[in-house]
Amino acid sequence: MLYFTLASKAYARNLQYRGAHMVHNLASAMFGFMYACIWIGLGRDHPLGDYGTQGMVGYIAFTQAVLWVTSFISNGLGIPQSVRTGQISLDLMRPVHLFSHMMAREWGQIAYQFLYKSIPIYLLYFFLFSLRLPDHGITYLFTFLGLSGAAYLSICMNYLIGVSALWTTESSWLYWGNHAMINLLAGFFIPLEWLPRWLENLAWMSPYPYLLYVPTTVYLGHGSGRGLWGTLFWGVLMTVLCLLATRIVRRKVEVQGG
Amino acid sequence: MKLKSCLAMYRLLIKTSIKSRMQYKFNFMLASVLAALIQISEFLMIAIVLAKFGAIQGWSIYEIGYLFAVMTLSKTLYRTFADEVHHLEKYLVGGDFDQLLTRPMPVLLALMPQNFRIMLGEVLQGGFILCWSLGGMMHSGQVGWAAVPFTLFIIFTGAVILFSIGLATATIGFWTTRIEELQNFTEDAARTAAQYPLTLYPKWMKSLLLIVIPVGFVNYVPSLYILKGELGAWVLAALAGVAILCLAASLRFWRFGITKYQSTGS
Repeated sequence: MLYFTLASKAYARNLQYRGAHMVHNLASAMFGFMYACIWIGLGRDHPLGDYGTQGMVGYIAFTQAVLWVTSFISNGLGIPQSVRTGQISLDLMRPVHLFSHMMAREWGQIAYQFLYKSIPIYLLYFFLFSLRLPDHGITYLFTFLGLSGAAYLSICMNYLIGVSALWTTESSWLYWGNHAMINLLAGFFIPLEWLPRWLENLAWMSPYPYLLYVPTTVYLGHGSGRGLWGTLFWGVLMTVLCLLATRIVRRKVEVQGG
Repeated sequence: MKLKSCLAMYRLLIKTSIKSRMQYKFNFMLASVLAALIQISEFLMIAIVLAKFGAIQGWSIYEIGYLFAVMTLSKTLYRTFADEVHHLEKYLVGGDFDQLLTRPMPVLLALMPQNFRIMLGEVLQGGFILCWSLGGMMHSGQVGWAAVPFTLFIIFTGAVILFSIGLATATIGFWTTRIEELQNFTEDAARTAAQYPLTLYPKWMKSLLLIVIPVGFVNYVPSLYILKGELGAWVLAALAGVAILCLAASLRFWRFGITKYQSTGS
């Protein structure tokens, strides 16, 4: 119940700004539109493998829309800021586990972003590029699972980045580094199979493909649902890491400001 | 005399801000290198695609690298000196703008020296990609040494154009107070769009990027002449004209906007 309240408050806080966010959506949609134009330009001169031009446009439209669920979440779940203000000491004193507390708040944020960012942006692309929706109900189920798993992985990654703020004041670099990795390894702009072989292998050894590439290919009907086992594997591993990190953090707290 | 003392103050400010950054030399260097690497990842994204498929609409990887680097360096030049114009919202929301209005000098001259930003990461990234792409094109004989001074010139005119766009966007803040969402559109999205050849986009968008938000004149139009030998040398003169025109228009708009300013602070 407590967790639900935390999540719904985070959701409600954002609701106040939905007008501004809609303007912002137009700018975000511009970025995806540009990337789609690049692929359309490439498609005029080259056949684009299994995807074809329309397929690649669909790929970009979907990844750009779901970025708001699986990548663009609060920097370090807001922990670096609470370390700076000293709020973290209060958060650690609460009779709620730090990880689940932060996570509940972020789920509210993600739910908001899904409804007010991902969906409007995708709708816009849907009409602009005359996209096709998947035919089978099962695809929607698998996509939903893949996206939820991706959002969870992203929460875990940002939690780990967030708690690193207890050791270093430069944790925002980790956040940006994480974004650079998403650009290259998550299939943000290029489907993974078109990366140079060594980079593709490297990507599959990391959790990044499960953030964007796996849910997107499931949605487009290219991959079977098997990739989702990988999401589950990384979810379990990341959970263990986050719990371990919290244990260490509890002994480490060193507040910077007051 | 007033302008002279103003410039002297600005010089002093630049000196102090370099000195303050150098207090943590290691940290500064590390942060700069990291910033450069992270931004290169954005270019790598397109480089990988080009390596796989070859040119996009007749633009090679070197040419796109050139577009990319010129845009980065122009933006860096603009933001190094006028970062506070981009952050005008802070002054409007907090009410600090009132203080600037009381200074006995033009508001813009009081605003810009509030912060001098050293962006070594961007200089490293842009410089590296520029040298690499120009080097590649010189090697294949596509461009000669004349491209170097031309490039320096367009980086400068580009910075003036970007500054004008930034200033015009900031001016709208006198009516709306909040400008971040708008900046995301006129500055970030438009700039990113012009990192790729404008031929990729539909006609309406191409005209938008040349006429309404003239980012196309920063790198795309001059590249047609410098890299591809299209148009003619008059482009460079025309470019200077466009930059002056943009600057004059945005300064005028700024002066008009200031008369509509209403204080918000508490």
